[in-house]
Amino acid sequence: MRFAEKIIESLCVSTRQPMPGGIKPPDYKQETLRSRLMPTPIPEELILPLAQHGNSRSRPLVKPGDKVLKYQAIACSDVTGIVDLHAPTSGIVLAIENFPIPSPVDKESKCILLKKDGLDAEIDHNTLANYRSLSYLELIKLIEQAGIFGLGGAEYPSRLKLKSGKNKKIKLLIINAVECEPYITADEALLREKAQFVVQGAEILQAACMAEHCVIVIESNKADAIKALEQTQLNSSIELFKIAAKYPTGSEKQLIQAVTSKEVPSGKYPTDIGILMHNAGTAYAVYQAVIEGKPCISRITTLAGGSLKTPKNFEALIGTPIDYLLNLCGLNQQTHTMTLMGGPLMGVKLARTDVPILKTTNCIIAASEDKFPPASIELACIRCGFCADVCPASLLPQQLYLYAKCQNFSELISHGLNDCIECGACAYVCPSNIPLIQYYRASKDELASQLENKISSEQWKQRFQHHQYRVKKDKEARRDPKRRETIKPTELTLKISPPIFSREAAKKEIAAAVVRVRKRKAQFIASSGGENTETDK
Amino acid sequence: MTSSPQSPPFQRTRRSTNNIMLQVVAGCIPGISIATWYFGYGVLLNVLLSIVFALCFEALAISLRSRHIQTTLADNSALVTAVLFGLTIPPGLPWWLLFLGIGFAILIAKHIYGGLGQNPFNPAMCGYLFLLLSFPSAMTSWHIPNDALSSVQEFAPTSLSGLQQSLHLTFPFLSHNTLNPIEFIDGLAMATPLIESKMAGTSKLLTAWQTDQSLFARSSETAWELVNIGYFLGGAFLLFQRVISWHIPVAIITTVMTISILFYSPGGYAIYGTPYLHLFGSATMIGAFFIATDPVSAATTNKGKLVYGVIIGLSIYGVRAWGSYLDSIAIAVLLGNFLAPLLDHFLRPRIYGHKKGVLGPSDMGGGSNKVIDS
Repeated sequence: MRFAEKIIESLCVSTRQPMPGGIKPPDYKQETLRSRLMPTPIPEELILPLAQHGNSRSRPLVKPGDKVLKYQAIACSDVTGIVDLHAPTSGIVLAIENFPIPSPVDKESKCILLKKDGLDAEIDHNTLANYRSLSYLELIKLIEQAGIFGLGGAEYPSRLKLKSGKNKKIKLLIINAVECEPYITADEALLREKAQFVVQGAEILQAACMAEHCVIVIESNKADAIKALEQTQLNSSIELFKIAAKYPTGSEKQLIQAVTSKEVPSGKYPTDIGILMHNAGTAYAVYQAVIEGKPCISRITTLAGGSLKTPKNFEALIGTPIDYLLNLCGLNQQTHTMTLMGGPLMGVKLARTDVPILKTTNCIIAASEDKFPPASIELACIRCGFCADVCPASLLPQQLYLYAKCQNFSELISHGLNDCIECGACAYVCPSNIPLIQYYRASKDELASQLENKISSEQWKQRFQHHQYRVKKDKEARRDPKRRETIKPTELTLKISPPIFSREAAKKEIAAAVVRVRKRKAQFIASSGGENTETDK
Repeated sequence: MTSSPQSPPFQRTRRSTNNIMLQVVAGCIPGISIATWYFGYGVLLNVLLSIVFALCFEALAISLRSRHIQTTLADNSALVTAVLFGLTIPPGLPWWLLFLGIGFAILIAKHIYGGLGQNPFNPAMCGYLFLLLSFPSAMTSWHIPNDALSSVQEFAPTSLSGLQQSLHLTFPFLSHNTLNPIEFIDGLAMATPLIESKMAGTSKLLTAWQTDQSLFARSSETAWELVNIGYFLGGAFLLFQRVISWHIPVAIITTVMTISILFYSPGGYAIYGTPYLHLFGSATMIGAFFIATDPVSAATTNKGKLVYGVIIGLSIYGVRAWGSYLDSIAIAVLLGNFLAPLLDHFLRPRIYGHKKGVLGPSDMGGGSNKVIDS
């Protein structure tokens, strides 16, 4: 612990260079920025997955056949780590069954299928003129009720992030408007057209986490968004911070480094160094939740890619099927080779397109072959070191690859596998087409399962020793009926569960127990003389 | 092969390993041309023969290891090894010496260890040293066509007689009884100007310039310096194309320069040679830009590369000045190869969020693993 504190101290004092490495891929952002942000028409049926990140699942509040209104809560979170779900439009719940969800494999999960009635009738919701009259706890409560989680992709409920900041003093709130991945322009379009709401949302977030300062960080080449921001934040205390466009500066740790020159110590959270980060889309959702009283039922999604006739940004309802949106943009079936959810560098290749938009879906790419050529053959690693030059965490991807291939886990840890953020910059530049991220993920999974096995085998070992100890004690007690009464239950429990099992220690213990028993027997015989002959028999 | 990639990133640069290898070969072209111009077709013949043999050996090794021959040959790594090996071999050596050397390089130094990317030592230098130790006298004499040496005769580099002489030297069985190969062999005891002068001479280029001779008068005396300039330009091209990083060449050149300045004594016997000749009068340039930068066998971290370069620079000078071998590049590079894993182990960059680059078991906790766009 003292060591960790030292790290934090040294980080606060020293000034370091901004993000090392990074890449500048062609971004293809202009094509989606031509048209204005538009709300989508409502599809006939919406698919609303109950499962959120991991295996946690929200509990449905409705039954098939129920009529629901827009903004009505239809599923609630019992577990921490997930958020409530609200109806994006009014209609009838058709079913609560397994439907395909966005995934690289054909995967199904429990979803609420909502059929629209076309009325789009809203449930009553309160608007709020002045959020400043509310305490931070009330603000967090409002944000919680709106079912908001980090819209940048972390799927971490915003309320928990805000609460975690409450215990530690937050010096700086960073609103992340850096979309460093190619193609994605969702945040840029949002800022261009709704800058004043994002700024208000940022102010609410600042009030909710009681941060001393708040900055909106944006890439310097997003001229329209910067102009819109500069016009609206005149009478606000929020600062605008422009950084050079480079991938992956939008990543949380890298952005903190770029803005403050501080690093988040490994294994810690940004709140540990007094920094909290929220996405610009989250700020907008917070504005809607607190001021307009609307829960999170839509998000801005970029539809891009060479196979679309009119790529653009949509304010899409959560649960809208992806193929519905693709058809709205004029999907060319002939050139369409694959569909990506998220950016081309960190996204997921979708197994099918009849899956819904999620709260984290910032981009859908309908890929064509000219921009996304088929995978080339993986050649041998020549250790050219291009990967190390672009790694934002200053890792040595070529060494990690070497050790991942021969499954040398101690070296992998020593080379910082756990500090890899899987941004994919290394694989982007690799001249041998090695799918490095795949190797790292496999190794991380293997490491995690090894750790799990280790922990569980440790537990079983302890349980077994426990059991053996009890059996032995029972035997001893049976052999010595007088003793049964003298042994206090607490004495037994205290001696149970030796921390680490070793054969020598166990032998010693047994020997000691035998000696103890003999001693007592001898004492017993000595004290009671020959009277105990009966009991001995 | 035709399916789209399964894991991110889906966008990639178009730069490929086989292109990088071709660029290295392209970087050698100025040096090769100048060397051919001055030393005759023998140089080019060496390179071409090495390429043919290397590709055959590579194909043999790949098929023995039951890999896909076409895709593995297409990585062009054998090509680079062959070109560098061919350039280090004196022109006019019989073909079977080349065959043995490149066979050792490809089969033993490279494929026994697992092929491209796995070889701990630079294959071309292994092949060269194998020949140097087995055939020391042949490897230190440069057989140059008579015409090229004689200052009286006009020597046309493109003349077929030069090619003929080179062919006769390389393939002795071709010369029947009509010509005695000895006639062509000058037996020049001049591996590099180093032997001739122990680095004590003055720049031949400068002399030529001062005495109003043409710099390109095809005198083999000025050739070495021009060849080195050719490699320097090729190396600059590689740096510009970012095929190699600056660390290794800069470290080697700076070290050789510094140490030769330190030991240079113009008034005395000058046995240690002038700094200029150490850089441009020998094989330092091809060594610094083309041979030591072989990424597979070199150190891979940036700090490691700098130390690796310094070690090679020191041993280049050390072997030349105090050792018994004069062609010190191969020995120096192999020494660097021996130390590269050690350098990679200790000289790592500091990892984000840590104080050091080498993490112990206590750092196992690590960070949160995902990029969080918050």
